[in-house]
This record gives sequence, structure tokens and C-alpha cells, in this order.
Amino acid sequence: MEITFNNRDPVYLQVVRYFKEQIAIGNLTAGQEISSRRELAGLLKINPNTAQKAYKEMEEQGLITTERNFPSRITTDEKILNSVREELILEAVSSFIASVRPINVPLEELIKMVSEKYSQPEE
Amino acid sequence: MIEVKNLTKKYGRRRVLENVSFTAEKGQITCLIGINGVGKTTTLKAIMGLTPYKSGTILIDDEPLTKTSYEKITFIPDAAIMPPSMTIRDAFEFMKDFYGSWNSARAEELLAFFKLKEEFRIAELSKGNIAKINLLMGLAIDVDYLLMDEPFSGIDIFSREQIADVFTSHLIEDRGVIITTHEINDIEHLIDKVILLDNGSVLKEFYTEEMRSEHGKSVIDVMREVYRA
Repeated sequence: MEITFNNRDPVYLQVVRYFKEQIAIGNLTAGQEISSRRELAGLLKINPNTAQKAYKEMEEQGLITTERNFPSRITTDEKILNSVREELILEAVSSFIASVRPINVPLEELIKMVSEKYSQPEE
Repeated sequence: MIEVKNLTKKYGRRRVLENVSFTAEKGQITCLIGINGVGKTTTLKAIMGLTPYKSGTILIDDEPLTKTSYEKITFIPDAAIMPPSMTIRDAFEFMKDFYGSWNSARAEELLAFFKLKEEFRIAELSKGNIAKINLLMGLAIDVDYLLMDEPFSGIDIFSREQIADVFTSHLIEDRGVIITTHEINDIEHLIDKVILLDNGSVLKEFYTEEMRSEHGKSVIDVMREVYRA
């Protein structure tokens, strides 16, 4: 488990994002038990208070649920889990558009390039 | 909480600390940063009552430094604490006799964590290993606050990583930690709060996550602004 953190975005939000990616990829699944806050701080080498804040944020967003004296788990709410995938894809598409827009590529050409690239195996 | 209020200190006519005020909470890691000059170590020593000061107040959990509050704090200097001829085992025995709150199990756990052996002699330890042993000594005493002078300075990258790992592990518990440093690289994610000192004065005090959330700035960004101004 490793994240390369940037120093300008809040670390707790970068941790939340990491969990969202793991959910979208399918590495974390509905109802799965996750590490304790302490363990997470150790694994990601972050301040334990930051790990705590990330868990609090995920609880508020409904991504994880915690019952008293039990380990936290990924939510079983399919609606939330699906929205995570959608959110990440939309974000990636938006940032892609933001970076190509200044180059003024006609949309059709762009789509053609994307679909060609996308079907090629990853280098 | 450790509260430093308007701390002022002079060496002869030279002012070393001028109206230094800040707080360090229990359960948080507070970092005193200064790129040059005195101030950091003197501040830690003043909190420990190891150096006299001209004026100001220092409170530990709302109390001035007394015999009782003194037992809540340890100070870890940046040089070897133990005589060079001692083995680590001897040093442990010494600490056990000296401190009623010495926690042998914790000491053993940390020794294994650092992959060091009891038969090693202090004289034979590298600078990185000295730093680890010092941290171990500080953590094996059951106190609420830990003051560490330059725990990350002048040591190899792997020792730095191992020491950083302690800060993110259960071994640090919910102690209040104050560390001094002149370089922040690769420990930005470990610390809760930053106090920027220069020439004996506090230039800025902030929480790292708040700075990132509200201003999108890293600790180094803020240091650049403050020290280059």
C-alpha cells in the first residue's frame, strides 16, 4: 500500500481519494473490513491524526461504516459505491478536457485519437 | 498542553528569544523550525527548566514547571545520552534504576523495531543508530510529552525513515511531541503543527492540514514566503 502524496493538497483528502480509487478498481469491495486508523497511519506513513480525519470524512460521505468496538467496513450501499466510480471517471475526463481544450482539437479528431489509444495495449 | 508565553531570554546583552509564544497539544506532533541561529534548542531547554530565562511563562497542563509536572516530560538531545563504554543492555539497566516509569517491554519492542541488539556498545553506534537509541530511551519512559532536539538531522536516509515510522506507529501513543528541525523535507506528512522561528522570534504558527486545505500551500511554500520576506 503506497501513495505518493503531494504537499499542497490536504493529506486526509488524498487518503480518501486513495480509498475511492481502490473501491472503483474493485480492490476494496462492499462490506470489506479495513485497517484500523493506527494501522493505516503506519502503512501510509502519515500522522495518526490525519488518518483519523480521513476516516471521519469517509464516514461522513457514507463510504465506510463503523460500529462501536468493531473494525470499520466499506459500505454495502451499492448506490454510494457506484457513485464513487462515476465520480472518479468524471473527474479524470474533466481534467483531460481541461488539458486538451487549449490546443483546440476538433472533437471528432479527439474522439478518434482517444478510441485508437484506448484500444492499444498499455506500454 | 504545553504553553509558552512571551518567553524572552538573553545571553549577556544578546537577545536569544524574544516574546516567544506558542502551544503544543497532547496527541500532536509540533515542529519548531528555524533555518538559522539559536532559539530552537534554547526553547526546549527552557521548557525543561534546564536554562534560566529573563521573562515569560511556561505552563504544562496549566501548571508551571514543578517536580510533578517535570515527570510528565522527557527531553531527548541530539547527541549520545549514555556513556560510550556502555552497552545498550547497561544503558537499559541504568535507565531502569533511574526512572520509576521506565517501561522495559516498550524498550524491548523498540529495540526489535529498530533491529538493534542489546550487546551493541554506545561507542560503536552510527549517528543514525544513536538517534534511534535516543528516541527509544525517550519513548520507553512513560511520560505525556516528549521534546526532541533535531531527531532527523545529520543521519542517513534509512535511519530517518525508521525514525519517521515510529512517529506514525502505535509506539508514539498519544504523547505530545515537540521536535526541532531545520529541514522539513520528507517529514511534512508526519507533523500536525509548525512554529517558524527566526532570530529568536516566532514568525508564524500553523496547522499543516489547515494550511493545505485553506491556502493550498505546503510547509516549504510557507517557509519560502516567511524566510525570504
